[in-house]
Amino acid sequence: MRRIWILVVSLTVLSGLLLAADYPRKSVTIICPWGAGGGTDRLARFLADELSKKLGQPFVVVNRTGGGGATGHSAGAYAAPDGYTLTVVTLEIATMHWMGLTDLTFDAFEYIAQVNEDAAGVIVRANSPWKSLKDLLDSIKANPGKYLFSGTAAGGIWDLARIGMLDAAGIPVDAVTWIPTTGAAQGLVELLGGHVDVVTCSLAEAISQLQSGQVRALAIMADERDPRFPDVPTLKEQGINWSAGTWRGIAVPKKTPPEIKAVLEKAVLEIANSDSFKNFMNTNGFGIKIRNGAQFYEFVKQQDQDWKHVLQLGGYAK
Amino acid sequence: MDLITRLLDPSVFFPLTIAMFFGIFVGAIPGLTATMAVALIIPVTYYMPPIAGLAMVLGVSFTAIFAGDIPATFLRIPGTPASGAATLDGFELSKKGKGSLALTLDLFCSALGGLIGVLLLILTAPPLAKFALKFTNFEYFWLGVFGLSMAAVLSKGNTIKGLISASLGLLISTIGIDVTTGYPRFTFRNAELMDGVSFIPAMIGLFGLSEVLKRVQLGRKVMEIPAISEKSRLNVRESLIAMWKHKFTIIRGALIGTFIGALPGAGADIAAWVSYGVEKNTSRDSSIGKGSLRGVIAPTSANNAALGGTWIPALVFGVPGDSITAIVLGAMLMYGLRPGPLIFTESKDLIQQLFGVAILVQILLIPIGWIGIKAFSIFLKLKAGIVLTSVVFFSIIGSYAMRNSFFDIYVMLVFGLIGYAFEKLDIPLAPMILGLILGRMIEDNLRVGLIKTKGNFLPFLTRPISLILFLLIVFTLIGPWIFSLFKKHASK
Repeated sequence: MRRIWILVVSLTVLSGLLLAADYPRKSVTIICPWGAGGGTDRLARFLADELSKKLGQPFVVVNRTGGGGATGHSAGAYAAPDGYTLTVVTLEIATMHWMGLTDLTFDAFEYIAQVNEDAAGVIVRANSPWKSLKDLLDSIKANPGKYLFSGTAAGGIWDLARIGMLDAAGIPVDAVTWIPTTGAAQGLVELLGGHVDVVTCSLAEAISQLQSGQVRALAIMADERDPRFPDVPTLKEQGINWSAGTWRGIAVPKKTPPEIKAVLEKAVLEIANSDSFKNFMNTNGFGIKIRNGAQFYEFVKQQDQDWKHVLQLGGYAK
Repeated sequence: MDLITRLLDPSVFFPLTIAMFFGIFVGAIPGLTATMAVALIIPVTYYMPPIAGLAMVLGVSFTAIFAGDIPATFLRIPGTPASGAATLDGFELSKKGKGSLALTLDLFCSALGGLIGVLLLILTAPPLAKFALKFTNFEYFWLGVFGLSMAAVLSKGNTIKGLISASLGLLISTIGIDVTTGYPRFTFRNAELMDGVSFIPAMIGLFGLSEVLKRVQLGRKVMEIPAISEKSRLNVRESLIAMWKHKFTIIRGALIGTFIGALPGAGADIAAWVSYGVEKNTSRDSSIGKGSLRGVIAPTSANNAALGGTWIPALVFGVPGDSITAIVLGAMLMYGLRPGPLIFTESKDLIQQLFGVAILVQILLIPIGWIGIKAFSIFLKLKAGIVLTSVVFFSIIGSYAMRNSFFDIYVMLVFGLIGYAFEKLDIPLAPMILGLILGRMIEDNLRVGLIKTKGNFLPFLTRPISLILFLLIVFTLIGPWIFSLFKKHASK
C-alpha cells in the first residue's frame, strides 16, 4: 500500500515537473474581460504578442465581455488550472463581489504579475473658478448638494475614487451628486458641455483635452506625482490621505502548477521591464506599475478590503 | 495636386484597397459589425505611417456599413446593426425580383451619402461639434423618444400590434445592470445577462433565423430565395433616374445622418432608422415598407453619412461620436496624433490627407461594393437548402463571435422564435428593434436628467433645444392629422 502511495506521489511530482519543463506545448489563451479595441484589450494583445515571441507558442487573446467584467473574470478563474488559460485581471475583481454582481472573489485566482496602474485625477473645465483642490473642496463644503461629479457608471472605479477622496477629506460623500455615464469619454463630453462640474477619471483618459487646454487637472489620487503630468499635485501633498486608481495584471486559475507560474512570471516581468513595453505604455497613455506575483497578490488582497469600505460608504455594497 | 499623388501612392492606396475588401467581407457577414472590422484592422495599422493606418480605418468602416446592406436586401438579415432599417424595403424589392436595382441604388446612395457626410465634416466640423456639446441627458431623452415615435410611424394601420411589439422591446431593454444605480435587473444572477440582452444576436435571430423558419415551414416549393430568380447586374441607368427623382430624399437622409452621427452616443444605426421614419412620415408615398425605392434611399444614404458625422466630435474634441471613432481615437494616440481643436493647426497636412482619403473611399466604394454584391449573389445562386443552412450556420457563428459566448447563441435562437411568432401573428418587428435600441437611451437619460435636477421635470421642457425637440415630436405625431383636417376644411 505504502509503495503505491510513493509511486502516486512521485508520479504526480514528476508529471508536474514534466508539464512545466516543456510548457507551453500548445497555444495559450489570454482572456480579456473587456471589449475589443478598448484599453485592456490593447494591453492584452501587446502582452500576447510579446509572450508568443518569448515562449515560442501562440498566445491568443479572447474577449469574454459582459457583466461589468464578471463574465470574463469567471471564465478565467474557472478554466482548467494547467497554465493554458491566462486572464488579464482588472480592478473589478476586488469590487464586483461586494456589489453582489458575482460570487467570484480575488481568491479564485493566483497572481502572476501586475503591469499597469492609472491613478484617478480631479478634472475641471479650464474656465471654472477652481484653481486648486482646496478651492473645490471649500466650495463643496459651503454648498453641499450643489455640484455634479461624473466619469463612469454608478459604483465604477472613478465614482469609488471620488467617494474615497471626499471621505478622506472629511466631507460627507453625499455632498456631491454622481452623474452616471458609460465611461470617462462621455463624462468628459458632459464636462466640456458644462453639464457637470467635475470629472474624476485617469489623466491619461483626458490627455487630449488636458493638452489642448480645455480642462484642468487639480489633483491626482496617487502616492507620487505622475512624471507625465509633473505639475499636478497629489492628494497626499494637500493633506488628504487617499490614493485610488485602476490597475491591470495577469493571473491564472487557482491550483496552477507552481513551475508553470514561475515560467509565466519570469516572462511577464521581463516583458514589463523591456523598452518596447515602456514605449507601448507611453504611446497608449498607460501608467506602468510592476509587481511580481507575491506582491500583486498582497496588493489585490489589500484592494479588496479598501474597496469594501468605500462601497459601503457609497451605499453600493450588498 | 500634390495631395492626389500622395494619396494614390501605393503605400496608401494599396492598404486602403485591401481594407475596403476586408470591410465588404466583414460587413456582409451578419454578426460581424463595422466596429469589429475596425478593431480587427487596427493592430495591422500600428506598423504603418499614420495616414495609411487612418486610410485603412476609413476604408473598412465605410465599406462595412454599406456591405451590411447586402444580406439585408437579399436575405433580410442586417449585416451590421446600421442596416436594420435597410432590410424593410430592400428585401421587399428583392422579393419582387428587384434586388439588383435595390442594391445598385443602395451602393450609389451609400457613396453619395458618405460623400455628403464627409463634405459636411470638412466644412462644418468646428461649429457642429460645439453644437453637439450642448446636448445632454434632457436632449438625448427627447432624441430617444423621437426615435421611438418612429415605431408608431412604422406600424401605421396596425397600432395595437405595433404597441405590443415596441413594448416588448422596451421591456427587454430593461434587462441588465441599471446604469444609474448599479443594480442588476431581471438577470436571475446570470452573469451573461448583466450587460443586457446582446443586441446583435437578438437582431440576427429576429430577422435571419425567423426568415429561415418561415421558409422551411412553407415547404419545398416556396423555398426559393427571391433574389436568385433575377440576374444580378448593375442597374446604373434605372438607379440614376431614381436618384434624380428622389434627390431630396438623399440630401435629407445625408443631413439627418451627419447630424445624428455628430451627436456623441448615437451612430449609423439610429441615423438610418430616423431617416427612414422621417421619410415614411413626410412623404405621401404609401408604398414605403412594401418595397419602395425611397425606403431604400433614405436609410442607406443616412447610415454612410453618419460615419462622416461621427468624426466631427472625434477630431474637434477628442470625443468619440460612436464606437468606431472610440477605437480610432485610441489608435490616433498611438500614431502620435492628439485629437482636439489644435489638431487642425498642428497636423494640418495629415488632416488634409485624411479628408482626401475619406473622399477617395466614396469613389472606390462603387467598384469594390459592386464586386461585393456580385460575390454575394453568386453565393445566393446555390440551392436554397444550402443557402438556408449557411444562413443558420453564419447566424450561429455571428452570434457567438461578438463575445465568444454560447449564451448569445441561445439569445439568437430565442429571438428567432419570437420573430417567427411575430410574423405568424402579423406583428411588425421594427418597433421591437426600436424599443430594444432606444429603451436604454430613453430610460437612462430620463433618470440621470432627474438626478441632475433633483427630481424636477421642468428642464426637459424649458431648455431651448429640449423644447425644440419636444415640439418636433409633437408636430410629427399630430402634424399629418392637422394637415389633413385643414385640407378637408379647405375642400368644403
